[in-house]
Amino acid sequence: MNKIIVKFTTAFALTTALTGSLAIAQDYPAKEIQGIIQWGAGGSTDTVMRTVTPHAEEVLGGKVVMKNMTGGVGAIATKFVYAQKPDGYTLLMGAENPLLYKVMGLGDIDYSEFTPINILARGVPILVANNDAPFNTFAEMVAHIQANPNAVKFGSTGPGGLASVVTAMLKSKTDLQVTEVPYDGDGPALTALQGGAVDVMPAVLGAAIEGIKGGRMKAIALVDNAASEALPDVPALGETNPEYADYLPWGPFFGVFVKNGTPEDVVAKLTAAYAEGAKSDDFIKLMADRGFVIESLSGQPAQDFLANWQSVTSWLIQDAGLAKASPEEFGIPRP
Amino acid sequence: MHDKRMRSAGEIAFNGGMFVLSLVLLVAAYAISGFESLSSPGALPMAVALAMVVSSGLILLDNVRNSRRDGTRFIRDILPPAVIVMMLFVAGYAVLLVPLGFLPTSLLFLALSIIYLRRGGIAYALTVSLVALLLVYVVFRLVFTVLMPAGIVPEAEILAAIGRMFGGAE
Amino acid sequence: MEALGYFLTPWLDIKLLFLVAAGTFAGVYVGAIPGLSVTMAVSILIGFTFTWDVYPALCLMVGIFMGGVYGGSRTAILLNIPGAPSAIATAMDGYPLAQKGLAGEAIGISTVMSFVGGLIGIAVLALAAPTVSDFALTFQPRDFMLLAVLGILLVGSLSGESLVKGIFAGAMGLLIGTVGMDPLTAEERFTFGFTQLWGGISFIAVMIGMFGVSEALAQLHHVDKTAVKQTISRIVPSFASVRKYLPLSLQTSSIGVIIGALPGTGGDIAALMAYDHAKRVTKNPEVPFGQGAKEGLVAPETANNAAVGGAFIPMLTLGIPGDAVTAIMIGALYIHGLNPGPMLMIDQPQMFWFITGALALANIFMLIFGLTGIRLFTKIVEMPRTVLIPLILLLSIVGAYAVNNAITDVYWMLAFGVLGYFMKSYGYQLGPVILGVILSRLLDENWRRAIISDQGSLVSLFKGMLTSPLSLVLLAMVVMIFVSQTPIWKRWRNKAGLPASGGDHNAPGSGA
Repeated sequence: MNKIIVKFTTAFALTTALTGSLAIAQDYPAKEIQGIIQWGAGGSTDTVMRTVTPHAEEVLGGKVVMKNMTGGVGAIATKFVYAQKPDGYTLLMGAENPLLYKVMGLGDIDYSEFTPINILARGVPILVANNDAPFNTFAEMVAHIQANPNAVKFGSTGPGGLASVVTAMLKSKTDLQVTEVPYDGDGPALTALQGGAVDVMPAVLGAAIEGIKGGRMKAIALVDNAASEALPDVPALGETNPEYADYLPWGPFFGVFVKNGTPEDVVAKLTAAYAEGAKSDDFIKLMADRGFVIESLSGQPAQDFLANWQSVTSWLIQDAGLAKASPEEFGIPRP
Repeated sequence: MHDKRMRSAGEIAFNGGMFVLSLVLLVAAYAISGFESLSSPGALPMAVALAMVVSSGLILLDNVRNSRRDGTRFIRDILPPAVIVMMLFVAGYAVLLVPLGFLPTSLLFLALSIIYLRRGGIAYALTVSLVALLLVYVVFRLVFTVLMPAGIVPEAEILAAIGRMFGGAE
Repeated sequence: MEALGYFLTPWLDIKLLFLVAAGTFAGVYVGAIPGLSVTMAVSILIGFTFTWDVYPALCLMVGIFMGGVYGGSRTAILLNIPGAPSAIATAMDGYPLAQKGLAGEAIGISTVMSFVGGLIGIAVLALAAPTVSDFALTFQPRDFMLLAVLGILLVGSLSGESLVKGIFAGAMGLLIGTVGMDPLTAEERFTFGFTQLWGGISFIAVMIGMFGVSEALAQLHHVDKTAVKQTISRIVPSFASVRKYLPLSLQTSSIGVIIGALPGTGGDIAALMAYDHAKRVTKNPEVPFGQGAKEGLVAPETANNAAVGGAFIPMLTLGIPGDAVTAIMIGALYIHGLNPGPMLMIDQPQMFWFITGALALANIFMLIFGLTGIRLFTKIVEMPRTVLIPLILLLSIVGAYAVNNAITDVYWMLAFGVLGYFMKSYGYQLGPVILGVILSRLLDENWRRAIISDQGSLVSLFKGMLTSPLSLVLLAMVVMIFVSQTPIWKRWRNKAGLPASGGDHNAPGSGA
């Protein structure tokens, strides 16, 4: 018993002495790591992070405590992590949204202030429609909308959300006059779609796939260059309408980040851990079931992915007149 | 409870404050999007702020017209010293929580307020506070992993050290 | 008969049985402590049970859910501080009973009635899930809007002595709910340039402040008074009294199931609506509402536990969450390699029956733990206030922080605590504030969606209301309740010699 007390006091003395910026990488992780999830419990980002992180923990040999910090389309969580010390003990677990903060006027902290640990996966957008909608293909939908301007209701998730970007993409090449009905997330919007409150919804495949399989809604087109293995019968928009192929593949993504300035060996440890986590069977199955494409990018490829995504999307939003500030102001090049 | 035909000490001031607050909020609601459309983000805020202005105005009007006071005295019946002191303690807690950290601030708060309310009994207050704090810490921090501000106590490092001691290299 | 086998799985496996029991037990305490919520507990369990099989994990979660919804009533009755939003209505008649020393009886009746409500919810889930979920899907934005308006009319029965003060409090709640970044347009509302306000003001922080802190401060007035001695001789209510409340509990449970099954509304709204309903239909309560009417306990407690079964209906049939907790459970099913959605019922019917079975089991454990732990719980109220009050304040602070790990929530909670204290002192009721916050987004978003869907035209919105049977019924209810609360109607009724309904508050507007 005495031994334990001695051991404890030495450990206490040591650890107290070690606090501050002295988190030496060999000891990393010397304490719990906080993982701040930008979105709410039960959502896509949350599910992905909670699946992959336990496997990364095994490699790291430490504990990652995950916390949801919602609000301001992820800006609250982003700012919180930005305000912490760059010591690798606070991870940002987020989705694509911060890359649009600058053009949407939500502050000037985006992923350029962070180092990507792993861009885990990318979602594929899909156009789904209410079962009673009088069209079954993209061409029929366009014809119907052009014959009945503003009568067709598109679900949306607010400016800068996936639905608004896909709708902007479609409008950039085809004249489409629709009424956009906003919802606070693709889940509620897809529920409304099944009840007929909206007619068409551009959603991420993962959110709609079970509804399509169960016959509660019908798929119009996959917004990608090739059909997905998860739904092989749904035509890819890039194939049927090649004018969209340049934009694609495009989709929301999930990634783990640390603040810039984090010691390189800590970044290396985290990168290795999450790369391993992305290879786990649980994660691969979850991604396949939900129709996500695994990317598992880190280092320069991840930076390139982020830069490209930001440039394509910011300009789409700018050209659709949704942006509050031009991407030019922030030096985001036109693709 | 209250006799609604009479007004209590400080009631006019409070209701007046609510009326002014409502006016400020109405202006702020108008600033959101003006009279742009029925579906604009400012529509409901403006409607409810207006309802607040009207209702608090009516309440205030009733107060002013009805000049009879009941027997309450502000410092005795509405805001007795105990309430003021506890409010100050709580405000102090809020200020100290981030710089000092959860554990020391809570201990200080619990001990001081129990000593104050009981008018003494330092040993009793300290024991009760320690036990209560330990329970709260176990439930919130260890079971529910709520990461309260650590402040000056490096609890994460201590926890990790304890973990290493008992669980070997985790 | 396969279904029965799956239904009984958690009953017959000793490990699963134990997990449901443990979950329910923990749930009662999680629910009772303001600031620890079922939502939190379930999301932590996702990490905790990551390596488990899906069945044991579900047993624990289902237990916590059932127990937690019930547990909120404990602190509502004993301390006038609802442990969870769905217990707000319970405090209104439960606390007066505790003040009379009848806490044991109040807890007893609310436990048994929670059990009855839970049972009805589960029965509807088992027998009519597909029908109910199809019905829930037919709600259009305008119907949700009407539902929200119906909820706001409850201000009438929550405002106590002065309707004008109630309207002020309700409007204030609605306004608090709109603070932050508008979820539909990302426009900032009432943020005054503070980015900390982008996420809005946490509803739980407002609730803890208004009920926890302000109540603790108010009790400082008689800090030296010894606590009311609680008689706990009669805990289990007599069969006759249960039978007496059965008709009412059937009605309020139906409210609970439907509101629970609707996506976006949950047990908190259901309980408040049920309370209002009870006030409306109970002609001659033994004790007036607000002073310890048993009906005022029965209604919210049946409704919020019935809402649990209701919330599972769209989740298990369609993969659509019925409330915040089922939303997290859907995530948990994904993590465990299942795909909740319309195919779940077809591909994996055992999952449906397993969860229904676990719920039924949790409901029974809730009854057992509810009726046995009372003695210990009532000790809490008999604790010296000099210790109890600082403890409540500390728990309120930690609880507010825990909701979203934000220090800003703590500041808000304290600010609303002080504001609530003064509002109470000057004859305002705090119930309408919380009602407003709960309903704010439902009203705001669906009003705007409804008007956008009709391209900004009020005329076509109205036409839509009159041509849809569902909207028409809701509209009729709104008009009926509104008219029955206006003075002209009351005068007419009094002349006609009919007993005035809701005669608990004096003529509306008397405070102004």
